[in-house]
Amino acid sequence: MQWIAQGFIFRRITSPFHQLDPRVKLLVSIELFTLSLLVGSLPEVIIALSGIFAIASISKILRRISRTLTYTLFFAIIIFSINILVGYPLMDAFVIAVRFLAIVGSTSIFFLTTPPDELELVMKWFRLPRDIVFAFVTAVRFVPVLMMDALQIMDAQKSRGLELQKGNIFSRFRRFIPILIPLIVDAVLRSGDLAEAMEARAYGAVKKPTSLYQLEIGVWGKVATILSITLIVPLAYLFLFLM
Amino acid sequence: MIEFSSVEYRHPNGVLALRNIDLKIRKGEVLAIVGENGAGKTTLIKHTNGLLKPSKGKVTAFDMDTNDESVANLSRKIGIIFQNPDHQIFSESVENEVKFALKNFGFKEEAISERLEWALNFFDLERYRTTSPMLLSGGEKKRLCIASVLAWDPDVVVMDEPTVGQDFIQKERLIKIIQMLVSKGKTVVIVSHDIEFIWPLQPRVIVMCGGKIIADNKAGKIFQERELLNKARIVKPQLQELSEKIHGESSGAFSNIYDAKQWVISKLKSD
Amino acid sequence: MECEYISTLHIERGMVPEERKSNNGLIISFEDRTYSYLNCKEPAIQNINLAISPGEIILIAGPSGCGKSTLLRSINGLIPHMYPGNSSGKVSIDGSSVDETSITEIAKKVGFVFQNPENQIFMFSVERDVAFGLENLGLYHEKIREQVDWAIQLLNIEKLVNRAPHELSDGQKQKVALAGVLAMKPRILILDEPTSLLDPFTALELVEIIKKINQNLGVTILIVEHRLDLLINAATRIICMSKGKILFDGEPRKVLTEKKLPRIGIGIPTITRLHRILNEEKPVFGKIPLSADELATNLKLILK
Ligand SMILES: Nc1ncnc2c1ncn2[C@@H]1O[C@H](COP(=O)(O)OP(=O)(O)OP(=O)(O)O)[C@@H](O)[C@H]1O
Ligand SMILES: Nc1ncnc2c1ncn2[C@@H]1O[C@H](COP(=O)(O)OP(=O)(O)OP(=O)(O)O)[C@@H](O)[C@H]1O
Ligand SMILES: [Mg+2]
Ligand SMILES: [Mg+2]
Repeated sequence: MQWIAQGFIFRRITSPFHQLDPRVKLLVSIELFTLSLLVGSLPEVIIALSGIFAIASISKILRRISRTLTYTLFFAIIIFSINILVGYPLMDAFVIAVRFLAIVGSTSIFFLTTPPDELELVMKWFRLPRDIVFAFVTAVRFVPVLMMDALQIMDAQKSRGLELQKGNIFSRFRRFIPILIPLIVDAVLRSGDLAEAMEARAYGAVKKPTSLYQLEIGVWGKVATILSITLIVPLAYLFLFLM
Repeated sequence: MIEFSSVEYRHPNGVLALRNIDLKIRKGEVLAIVGENGAGKTTLIKHTNGLLKPSKGKVTAFDMDTNDESVANLSRKIGIIFQNPDHQIFSESVENEVKFALKNFGFKEEAISERLEWALNFFDLERYRTTSPMLLSGGEKKRLCIASVLAWDPDVVVMDEPTVGQDFIQKERLIKIIQMLVSKGKTVVIVSHDIEFIWPLQPRVIVMCGGKIIADNKAGKIFQERELLNKARIVKPQLQELSEKIHGESSGAFSNIYDAKQWVISKLKSD
Repeated sequence: MECEYISTLHIERGMVPEERKSNNGLIISFEDRTYSYLNCKEPAIQNINLAISPGEIILIAGPSGCGKSTLLRSINGLIPHMYPGNSSGKVSIDGSSVDETSITEIAKKVGFVFQNPENQIFMFSVERDVAFGLENLGLYHEKIREQVDWAIQLLNIEKLVNRAPHELSDGQKQKVALAGVLAMKPRILILDEPTSLLDPFTALELVEIIKKINQNLGVTILIVEHRLDLLINAATRIICMSKGKILFDGEPRKVLTEKKLPRIGIGIPTITRLHRILNEEKPVFGKIPLSADELATNLKLILK
């Protein structure tokens, strides 16, 4: 439980890639994603994966992305087995399975390098309604908080003799009631507090709120954009028509 | 009764919350744990009934190693009352809230109703018997939580920040409850930032800072040491300040206002 | 005459000219305010009359459930705008009625800090969170930057600007919450049990900051706190409530002499209690002390 809560907490890392404008990171991620979609042979898969790992290592998230991919491996193996069963040749089945890994990896790059507040700026830039953006922000902000609350509630009830591991599935479910009810109450109380605090800080005063930070692509952002496009376009062409 | 030997605890996120804790909690004593925010007080008390297991070292409670024993078994003897009542209240009535733990611990029917009556009576919750506990006021909720723990008559009672959000009447009640527990030979452990609250109890005090116990002594002694208190971000009780202003630094203080009054009056007469 | 004509005209259009606004110099006034929450028979506050001048630091005390939070919510408009219910009487800020002003409009004048610091931080970096209110008001980027930096400097939290909420201690979170409110440059600052989760030093630090804000910026301050000893030296006035009514209201020393306080559930500082029982024995111990220092000086004089 605690491990899961930790997983939801964004850890701020600094790297040249992290410092890019979030829109550029999104672009690079989409490019890698497209590339991963287009792969059809072993060399192509290797090229796409090495692109992903190169970016991951620049942004110092190799370990985290490897962990994500390890979890994904389970699904990749299922995909592989199904393809074999359906009658694909070994090599093709393998490429399809690894392609799945590449797709997951390319999306993870964006989410692992973009803190929630940058994500919020991107959402705003796409002109999503303020309420939706804010709902997203609050959810990401409070999921770990509520998970910690759940831990405290479990501690309190375990101290009153509640044993969660005992009994069959059915009675186990019943044993979760003393945890679920306080958790729901807690979430309701918190959201009440939040609503008050939002109002007290003029939430919704104007239709279009401004922002402390303004998105700015910057020199390195431009370089990265141009570089990535000049690399990706010929590669995609190659993947589509030549290899 | 409860013994920590060289205990270290690391939270899953890598924070080292307890370092090298050696501590013996003795039968019948009142023990206050004080220290700055994040010092590790809550983490420490969660080790007493096995909610947390030491990363290094050993905790024994009633001659049981907390590593080998279930939380339920340990809790039967060591009752922890956590800070936030909303984190445990879930029943549809006050009555059932008190019964919850009694049932978990396998009390017999008659014993349950006997303990229930005692708790409701003693904590003045009789008239709320069938009310939903969520409708109670903050102070009443707190009292209900204490009642629901004391109902199973644990030998050690541990309270985490019992005075937060509580008014004067409720605090006075708490003091009475603690004194009653002590008179029945129970051991009471209190974690609190409220120095004025714990001072009249004249407990043994443990001062924590950065996951370590940096002092362990009688209240009268601990609160004389300004440097120690500054390090742990704690202030002196007002009666200590008063006697220091009168008698000079590091002098013993009056343990309560009535002692102080006695002293002043006798002094007046002798003058 | 002409002037009056113009001002009535303005009032008809819903605009109150400056000279009409100055309500005998009061910044907050309650006129016979009663309010009960929806589906509650008993009013949570009853016949409240209150006149508050700019620059006061007011400590509000009272037992749990006596209506302190309700009183505070009535000032910044959460009541009646967010909490429906029955209300009568009037609350005005700077002469304009709270009932007729939107919460967001009031939010520009009244800052509100709550008990649980966790629930008032929305953003993932301290700096962004301090800017939250200003962004909502739609200020220009440069203006936001300026006021955010100002508030961060005021609270001495420059080192924290890039931290995320989970990297802050409770005390730091409470300072961030305060900064976020102050960045909006309110004239009134309301704090509802802001120190209850903090260790004594951090609580005192917060009190010092509040005093500084009051002295340097002239912000009017209302604060609810159960531990009177923490604030007794800072407050210029104490309001004691019980069962939705104001029982005592005045200078700290005067209010503390009230015999009834402990009985209605208001705990007076230990030192004041000692003074009280001493005076009951023999009324020679002088004026009510607010700190151990004062009583010690008194005692030394008497016992010499
Ligand atoms: N569940 C948890 N996961 C990770 N870290 C934690 C957890 N609980 C506490 N910590 C960390 O462990 C340290 C000690 O925390 P603890 O809650 O024991 O302090 P405390 O003395 O009770 O503080 P307070 O007076 O604020 O209640 C802190 O640095 C805290 O951030
Ligand atoms: N949202 C609400 N809906 C209905 N009743 C409420 C609500 N909030 C408070 N009350 C009731 O109004 C009365 C006054 O509550 P209030 O919260 O103002 O007290 P308080 O003095 O702030 O208490 P505390 O010291 O416990 O915070 C109480 O009887 C309470 O039960
Ligand atoms: Mg704690
Ligand atoms: Mg309140």
